[in-house]
Amino acid sequence: MNVVFFSLSRLLQLIPVLLGITLVAFLLLRVMPGDPATLMLGSRGTPEDIAALTRQLGLDRPLWLQYLSFLSDIVQGSFGRSIAYKTQIGPLLIERLWPTLALVGLSTVFALIMTVPLALYTAVRRNSLADHAVKFFFVAAMSMPPFWLGVLLVLLLSIVFPVFPVSGYGKDWLDRLHHLTLPAIIIALGTAALTIRSLRSSVIAVLGADYVDTARAKGLPEGTVIWRHVLRNSLTSTISVLAVHTSWVIGGTVVIETVFGIPGLGSLLVSSISARDYPLVQGLTVTFAVLVVLINLLADIAYSIVDPRVSLS
Amino acid sequence: MSKASAPVPFLKGAFLGALMVSAATLAPAQASTFRLGVFADALTIDPIASSDNASIWLELQVYDQLVRPSEDGTRLEPGIAESWTISPDGKQFRFKLRPDAKFSDGQPVTAADVAFSLQRASSEKSEWARFFKPITHYDVVDDHTIVMTLDKPFTPILNNLALFSASILPAKLVEAQGAAFFDHPIGSGPFVLKSWSRGQGQELEKNPNYWEKGKPAIDGASIEVVPEDNSRVLKLKAGELDAIINVPFNQAESLKSDPDVQVGVAPVFRIDLVQLNTTRKPFDNKAVRQALNYALDKAAIVKGILRGNAKPATSSIPVMAYHDSALKPYPLDLAKAKALLAEGGVPDGFKTSMLVSAGDATERQVASAIQASLKKIGVDVALQTIEDSSQFSTTKSGNYEMSLSYATSDTIDPDQLVGFTAVNPERANAFHTQWKSDRVNELYAAERATPDGPERGKQFQEIEQIVHDGAPFIFLYTPNAPYAARKNVSGFEVLPTANYSLKNVVVK
Repeated sequence: MNVVFFSLSRLLQLIPVLLGITLVAFLLLRVMPGDPATLMLGSRGTPEDIAALTRQLGLDRPLWLQYLSFLSDIVQGSFGRSIAYKTQIGPLLIERLWPTLALVGLSTVFALIMTVPLALYTAVRRNSLADHAVKFFFVAAMSMPPFWLGVLLVLLLSIVFPVFPVSGYGKDWLDRLHHLTLPAIIIALGTAALTIRSLRSSVIAVLGADYVDTARAKGLPEGTVIWRHVLRNSLTSTISVLAVHTSWVIGGTVVIETVFGIPGLGSLLVSSISARDYPLVQGLTVTFAVLVVLINLLADIAYSIVDPRVSLS
Repeated sequence: MSKASAPVPFLKGAFLGALMVSAATLAPAQASTFRLGVFADALTIDPIASSDNASIWLELQVYDQLVRPSEDGTRLEPGIAESWTISPDGKQFRFKLRPDAKFSDGQPVTAADVAFSLQRASSEKSEWARFFKPITHYDVVDDHTIVMTLDKPFTPILNNLALFSASILPAKLVEAQGAAFFDHPIGSGPFVLKSWSRGQGQELEKNPNYWEKGKPAIDGASIEVVPEDNSRVLKLKAGELDAIINVPFNQAESLKSDPDVQVGVAPVFRIDLVQLNTTRKPFDNKAVRQALNYALDKAAIVKGILRGNAKPATSSIPVMAYHDSALKPYPLDLAKAKALLAEGGVPDGFKTSMLVSAGDATERQVASAIQASLKKIGVDVALQTIEDSSQFSTTKSGNYEMSLSYATSDTIDPDQLVGFTAVNPERANAFHTQWKSDRVNELYAAERATPDGPERGKQFQEIEQIVHDGAPFIFLYTPNAPYAARKNVSGFEVLPTANYSLKNVVVK
């Protein structure tokens, strides 16, 4: 099965999953106390004003009708209109998608840069001082809540040694890279703590395999043995750990984006929930779901590239 | 950056070199731009569709209104209208526009623009329609004169014309462009919206046609969204911002010790109080409600938690126009509180619960202090933290006993807050307490038809006294709003309506 066909069939399988997610998101929002009209009018609204706005927003219609119009908005790709922003949701989601993707992408790159050399080194030098030090450092990093780690690193690297900006997103792409580096490192530390452990144990297992002995017996240099034979055969389980964790990170951007003032989907979700901006929260839920599914799809494709024995089916 | 030490340039250089980060990020900001950190982004720049603070702030920089509150919040002063007269029966308002007022595209502001904008503000599409509905007729006399007529006298109307929702828009452009106008809005305020990155902030530049000569003093401003309180403070300390608003009380003190920073506190028209659900026992009893007021040491809360940045409150109206300064807050008097509890039929106290907003650290501390104080008279309060948006709807539905909350005024006229916190039925049934005073309702109707002056003042003072005595709330305090700026900034102010103004800002 080729990659395109595989991807298309996976995207088709996504339809029932998304339907379920839209229904749950839709219903959960409606059982939450608080409604958009009351929140928008606040102290100014009379009961008549609130009723009029509720009608204007179409929130007085039966639930099933509201759900159907939400689905038809998704099919048309518009996601409807945001109650708070009073604009089409589609462009808003796209505008806020890039900072989140950049943050998640950059943190994944950083995690990989930390993972591969450290996991290989600690696997080869098992139980050395360096092995224990790496283990200790990453367990400590993983145990600290990201916002706490964020505040500590900001104090150190933005105030005491002003290398990075305190928060924000920057204006051009280099400026953005500068702004995103610190939050991406914080996310990457959490990811690397898991992937280093996973890759290290796979490498240890593979190091004892017969084909590694064979490769060495053929007289291949140790570097080639490690890179071509050991690493490649160890990566598959780490890819799934990375995929699962990255899916989790996408949800976790809510915290990091708020702490670092990054205008991504996570910070948009926080503000839209407090405004009870139903259509926007629904649109965001669907976007998050699609992102998670896409990451898992990418992981499956990556397996097949790393290990051709894995077939895409 | 005063804290820079020897290794810093090296570290910074090494990092930037490695990442090839553009030199632009290191260049110092131009002296004539002002960088302000705020906690939320604007949602829209359509004045009739906004109710959030960030949108209101942006609109006030870009648009102008006929009249505006003075900087101390005590009176109205001319805006686009250079003068106005009110007919003796209080039903006709004649405004004379400034001949030199222009929109940022150079077009003059005309009476037709005023009529269009205000009619739009009272239309079905507007969230603020009821504020302008009392005007039933607009008469454009000439390009610079407009007469507005009311069916019956409605004194708060002049204040309502100072609201951001009464911003004057160029009629022809809005009619031609529809909603697209607000992508590139044109106003006659001190600034022009140059760009807006959603969630990130806005870039403003000076309006070259602004009618107030010599203002703004800066060429432009960038408003940056920094939602996290600590990050905002750190960015100011690091010199990445020139000023910030909404400084947490506990950080205002430590910021004062920074030699590069100045901290200001603005008295704002906000009142913090505990709503008491008067439909529930024993809060239906006035003696019990008064007892709770006597049991609280407001001064200790103000000193200990708000670091002195507040004044104890006497009623549900903050210190603003027509306030009766002779009226004193309930003093701390535990003996009297216990006697009143006995009078109210609960001599040994009772168990109850209080809703507290989950997101606000100061409110959680205040709630604990209230809990500890009331325990001394045998009132056992269980605190229920609740998300902001849910708190409002829970109290509105009447499903609560006590709730720690606050109210703010958009105008400098107490009419708005009286209508919200004291009148029942009206907008919020006395801020969801269901407390009702026929005399307050009567005075509210009378105040709205009485011209500004001592007689109207007496009506407001009587309302304040009745609310004080009836005690549908535990009156807490009116807090100040701390803000901070770098030492090289002057003229940045937060107004009593909690809005800020950038037109007087100077960056040295």
